[in-house]
Amino acid sequence: MSALPLFPTQEIGSLAKPRWQLLGQRGEPWDEAARAEFDEWDRRVGFAPEGPTVTSLRNGRSREVGPGAVRDLGALFGIRYFERAGLDRVYDGEARRVEMYEYPIRQMEGFEFLGHVRSFDNKYYLKAAGTGEIRLARPYHVEEFDFVRSHTDRIPKLPVTGPYTLADWSYNEYYLGRRPGWKSRKVRRDAQREFVVELARRALRPTLEALIARGCRVIQIDESAAGTHPDEADLVAEGFNAATEGLDAEFSMHICFSDYRSLFPALLEAKRCKQWAWEFANRDTEGRDGYQILEMFKEYGDTREIGLGVLDVHRDDIETPQKVAERIGRAAKILGDPSRIWVNPDCGLRTRKLSVAYQKLTNMVEGAKIARAEWAGRSSA
Amino acid sequence: MALHTGLTGPFPRPEPLVQATRDLDRGRTTPDAVDELFDRTEREVLALEQRLGFDLVTGGYLRWADLFRPFAETWTGFTVGPVTRWFETNTFYRQPILHAPPERVPGAIRDRLPAAARAHGARRTKVILPGPYTFAGMLDNRSGETREGLTHRLGRLLAEEVKDLAHDGHAVFQFQEPLLVVDPPQGAAAEAVLAAYRSITGGSVSATTIVWTYFADALPAFPVLGRLPVTAIGVDLAETDPSDLAKLPDRRPLGLGCLDPRTSLVEDAADVAAIVRSVRERIHPPSLWLGPGGPLDLLPYEAATRKLHVLPATRQALGEENA
Repeated sequence: MSALPLFPTQEIGSLAKPRWQLLGQRGEPWDEAARAEFDEWDRRVGFAPEGPTVTSLRNGRSREVGPGAVRDLGALFGIRYFERAGLDRVYDGEARRVEMYEYPIRQMEGFEFLGHVRSFDNKYYLKAAGTGEIRLARPYHVEEFDFVRSHTDRIPKLPVTGPYTLADWSYNEYYLGRRPGWKSRKVRRDAQREFVVELARRALRPTLEALIARGCRVIQIDESAAGTHPDEADLVAEGFNAATEGLDAEFSMHICFSDYRSLFPALLEAKRCKQWAWEFANRDTEGRDGYQILEMFKEYGDTREIGLGVLDVHRDDIETPQKVAERIGRAAKILGDPSRIWVNPDCGLRTRKLSVAYQKLTNMVEGAKIARAEWAGRSSA
Repeated sequence: MALHTGLTGPFPRPEPLVQATRDLDRGRTTPDAVDELFDRTEREVLALEQRLGFDLVTGGYLRWADLFRPFAETWTGFTVGPVTRWFETNTFYRQPILHAPPERVPGAIRDRLPAAARAHGARRTKVILPGPYTFAGMLDNRSGETREGLTHRLGRLLAEEVKDLAHDGHAVFQFQEPLLVVDPPQGAAAEAVLAAYRSITGGSVSATTIVWTYFADALPAFPVLGRLPVTAIGVDLAETDPSDLAKLPDRRPLGLGCLDPRTSLVEDAADVAAIVRSVRERIHPPSLWLGPGGPLDLLPYEAATRKLHVLPATRQALGEENA
């Protein structure tokens, strides 16, 4: 691994699953669309070494290959996709994961899945209740990390769902139920704090320890729920600290689509967080400067790294390299220190087609180069 | 003192309906098959409400995609907008976009009410509608009208809706107003809310009107809640301290939201009964409406059903028969 340049680039999370992977995992033979997609991406990023797996998939024998080998191929695709786009930190596009809640919860004891809750329209999510003492059955994401590490010479950055989000997306029966009488706001909050911290200590921390023991040095803790209850930002920080305190790795916290102002200053108590990876481009629209929120870090004297979202993951419009460079420059001016900036999409790009996401990422890398040249010119002037 | 029990909002869809609606989106079933399942499930929810001894039934409002969708899809002036977070929950609604002053389409909302409840008899059902303040505040208003003006206008439109439904025999209307406590109106905004409810309740229609609040402590909103010209005010006791209810400026029927929809932990009927006793002794409201703090659709179906059983158990703990 070579030394990192100014404005290094990284991914944030998941990619859309290619059709060939989805069909292959289900044991279904590829159709024409899947075959064409596979060939196109193999040509563009070169991820599929010829061998028995690829031959069987091409010949319609997905069932023979098995879902594990298909997922391996999907992970390899994700790694090469990010590498060829030119990112400094990569992962596998979360090729093996379906979502970010159910899988980690299923690795723990002390939870019971109760059924589906409607998210909106006819979309639902499975929700569990914490019904007993939390016990980690086995650390998770470890094999996934091993695979990524052994297939890239870039810096792997592993995303993992944070304890606050796992708690917020679950019902808290156990810690709430241990408190007798009417469950007032204060009682609920105390129980939730215990739930978050116990999840951090008993499930996330041992997972992080296992990952670090395998060589994982950069870990992104996803706290998607952090903005749901602004008055619980202190719990987000407390959970983060309980999970990471004393561990030898670089930790970032990814939070998307929130009213970030409401998280200050309580969230800044997340002591081991080296980088805030937030979404900015989504709110950087005509007449609105999405990067002004960075002023809050100045206001509170927080000088940690910023994972600067420069790609809107909810729009197909592809940001030009110049737009990316302009956004980086604007952020660097506000922060007053360009070396604090990592450049990334706002969030995972799974909502975009692979072709759109790839163009966005390559433009992001080009934009970082432009910004780098501009800032190098300034420092040498 | 009368004690009424019942649902206070939409009920969750049971797992077969979850699967069917998913299948519909994926083209694996037909709209007719799903429609039939909706009908059957509404009848099941209604039967559950009856078994639990609820005074008024709702049918669960299972078809409603969100509180505003039937209006955004049928009244003029609206389009259905982006997926937007529903208060401090992990659920979402499609924010209505209002492009021009809205106009109601007579009969459109009546057609969206749960068929099972309509078949059961209008007199024995409770109609659940969005409150004008929450409706006005949660949409994307591009109509050019001020929010205050819009609140009042929506109140007038809802008043026409109530009038038509009352003509059909409906007598109890509940207005969902979480925003009244999440963001209590003041000044002109509060006056607009009062004007909106005066439109709803001030006509020739004789109906029971309930404003149900949830998702936040109602205490800061008491000044406006106390002035609302409605029959009853409902509060979410997971958010509002029951002892604060004595600070309401008048004595009127109260709704006590005693089942917390944000946790699957089932309440102890003895705890709920203790709260009811305390409210009765301290405040002496003319009657009480006991129900979930807000819509139970933040829970899976079975968990929500378990919670509902606390209501008759509370009634039993209080040693009362159905009001």
